[in-house]
Amino acid sequence: MSESNNEWHLLLPVLPFLAVAPYLYSTGWESVEAAYLIVVVPLLTFPLILILGQMYNGNETWKHRYKEGGIFALGALALSLSISVWIIYDYISGSAHFEAASVVDPFSWLTFDVLQHNGSQWELSTGFADIGVGVWIDSISLMLLFVATFLCFLICWFSLGYMNTDSINEDRNHRFYGEFVLFGIGMFGMVLADNFLWLFIFWEIMGLCSYLLIGFYFWKESAAAAAKKAFLTTRVGDVFLMVGLLILYNIYGSLEFAVIFDDPSTGVGGALVDSGELFWALMMLFIGAVGKSAQFPLHVWLPDAMEGPTPVSALIHAATMVNAGLYLVARMVPFVDIGHGGVAGLEDVGLIIAWIGGITAFMAAAIALVQNDIKKVLAYSTMSQLAYIFTGLGAALLLLNIGENHAGYFVLGASMFHLFNHAMAKGMLFMASGSVIHEVHHAHDHVRELSLKYSSHEGEDPSAFDPQDMRIMGGLAAKMPVTATAMMFGSMSIIGIPLIGGFWSKEGIIAETWATCLHEEPMMFVPALLVLATAGMTGFYMTRMWLMTFAGPPKSEVVGHVHEATPWIKEPLIILTLITAIGGFALALLGAANFLGGESDHLAIHGDDLLSAILNELEHAFLPDDANLRLVGWTTILIAMVLGPVMASRIHGGRLIDGVESSPLVAWLVNLSSRFGSQNVDELANSQLAEALQRRLYFDDLYEMVLAKTAIPLASFSAWFDQNVIDGVIKQIESKSAFGSVQIRRVTTGSARDYILMAAVGMLSIFALIWGVSA
Amino acid sequence: MIEASWIAGLGVILFGIGLLGAFSRKNAIVVLMCIEVMLNAANLNFVAGAAHYGDVNGWVFTAIAIAISAAEVAIGLAILLSLYSTQETIYLDEANILKN
Repeated sequence: MSESNNEWHLLLPVLPFLAVAPYLYSTGWESVEAAYLIVVVPLLTFPLILILGQMYNGNETWKHRYKEGGIFALGALALSLSISVWIIYDYISGSAHFEAASVVDPFSWLTFDVLQHNGSQWELSTGFADIGVGVWIDSISLMLLFVATFLCFLICWFSLGYMNTDSINEDRNHRFYGEFVLFGIGMFGMVLADNFLWLFIFWEIMGLCSYLLIGFYFWKESAAAAAKKAFLTTRVGDVFLMVGLLILYNIYGSLEFAVIFDDPSTGVGGALVDSGELFWALMMLFIGAVGKSAQFPLHVWLPDAMEGPTPVSALIHAATMVNAGLYLVARMVPFVDIGHGGVAGLEDVGLIIAWIGGITAFMAAAIALVQNDIKKVLAYSTMSQLAYIFTGLGAALLLLNIGENHAGYFVLGASMFHLFNHAMAKGMLFMASGSVIHEVHHAHDHVRELSLKYSSHEGEDPSAFDPQDMRIMGGLAAKMPVTATAMMFGSMSIIGIPLIGGFWSKEGIIAETWATCLHEEPMMFVPALLVLATAGMTGFYMTRMWLMTFAGPPKSEVVGHVHEATPWIKEPLIILTLITAIGGFALALLGAANFLGGESDHLAIHGDDLLSAILNELEHAFLPDDANLRLVGWTTILIAMVLGPVMASRIHGGRLIDGVESSPLVAWLVNLSSRFGSQNVDELANSQLAEALQRRLYFDDLYEMVLAKTAIPLASFSAWFDQNVIDGVIKQIESKSAFGSVQIRRVTTGSARDYILMAAVGMLSIFALIWGVSA
Repeated sequence: MIEASWIAGLGVILFGIGLLGAFSRKNAIVVLMCIEVMLNAANLNFVAGAAHYGDVNGWVFTAIAIAISAAEVAIGLAILLSLYSTQETIYLDEANILKN
């Protein structure tokens, strides 16, 4: 590990890929023409990595110089990143080429002939559905494209350190990188897709990659089961999504965004769209989104998905793929936006989405309160934060459908901005947790070697050791200052500590949800109350996780041997820490929420100079005009920043042991956490409520029970039916014809006389027959 | 004048004799002879029909059939020769290599 400084030159081959976008620019390409490359280059890299991985498996150069394909993956992702940054730059700076939402150069891919009923008869209309391949670019897809390409790049970089120093991954990392790149194809493609069919195809590619990567440690039974669970649970949503797409197709006669969004209130042949039919289409799409984004009641797969390698948890199950559902819901905006030709009477869509969001936010946060596995806390936190965004989107759809355009676009922008902040913070938090897990694991191996060396007895079973259990950690702030700092900023962003990342967006969602409740729709009260309560719970569980891991005295011997030493793990963390700490504020200043809400098509500082812009933004955030909103805002800040963290500090806070140092900010926080006294919560921890939360509110048990009562009998009946009825019929046909052929074989005696006799008798019978019939 | 139906009846009897011989005898030469008898029974029917209807086609067919049956006999005898040279028998019951 000491050679970490000597390994930088291995990254040199990646640099030319980063330079592709500037090179293409200099040769006169338009950025949107290069958009295909974002998907096509990873598409070529994917088989390349797998084939080379098979050919050179175990080869030293392949392993150490190319990191078993990691360098190729990083190169392809660097290229995607550079082109997407170029497109974003073009879009933001408004340097022509773009409409507000533009379809770029679609060419025909599939042409269907459709049998249609035209009132009196069926007739075949040729070339009815023409499905093209194109690129759809607007502020939301650009934001998500940046999130996806940027995080894919950083997490791939992180993986070079994380995966390639793990002994159990020996010689099979090319599979990881291959699947990683394939995931990139799915995500980039979904974001850029210009029609729902392509969106669905890439959506399924992501589902496949999620399955493959969760099951990367397939020899572990729990990992294999988790992969299956994730795949099947999201599949439930996917079936509904497909039904939703068929309904949409039925209404509009096309799945192209350009065709549908051009005039969502007019269906195929100029017919007026029935809001009831569209309601069901949107609900089906929403159920698909619920499955993908792990919302209640299809949330059960996400915590189990943490069985995958940590970079996968970071990338797929926190930062990018789970955002696909949010993206799909954000795509519903034109359908309900009555200010721009949407269909009226769809308030219920927004209301249902907001309710589901509120329930999930609260439930997931409650479960996160008691989890002891560091990645499980983050998984539930992911569910909870995604649910915030769903609540915000629900409020946005509701507001837009009743004509409150300004408020609607504002909360839409806030939701999308929260998606950005959450993706950055959560990607970083998972990488930081990966860093912790990785180093604890290494320390454990180290301790075990020592104990084997100096004692005759066999040490504990290595597989019984769980490096993700926060109960054995503590005091890591002294050992891993960079990780502790990164995790601190990530947690602050998720909690919504003022001025940092998530604050700007979360405040907007909560305030607008309350505003909707107070001014427009009393039914929004429940989601509004739930998201407010969740803010405090978020403060508690994120603080608890941080304190359990980094503060207090070390809780096991292993922790004393932890070093922050693995190469290439720290750098991506530092980059994301900067983005989380400063980027949120900077983007808020630049009006990211307005940009993402579609109210403004460029990012710029609003105000005369920087200082007045900052003051304006702060005033807007802390002292809004509406007294109710001021109350809501300050309540949120109070419970999220003070109440939750202080309670967590009373239970888990504590000084580091004497004589160890950490970075000043981290040390100050750790000391602060010990000042609030301590509280014994054993009684609460042993209560039935805590037990219920530990067991994930029995959802898994419930599903298991329901499935045991329904699906398993059905499956065993189907198996019986297959084995006995279907196979039985075929076996009967087979054995009967075998019997028959044995019987018939007896006639072939081999004697010519018998044959002649048979021919004669047959002939005579035919004559007799003819004679009998004709007579 | 002998009635055509009598000649046809003679043809049926001859055909029956030939058929009976063809599947009851073992000797391939006798079977070949029986086949000739059946052919001639058919020829007899043609001739009877030609006489009854006054149609020359019957005679023409008979002449062709005789020519063809001569060729057939030549081929049949050739088969018998080759059968004998490979199986050393012309008894049909023993020449049953196709069965196994």
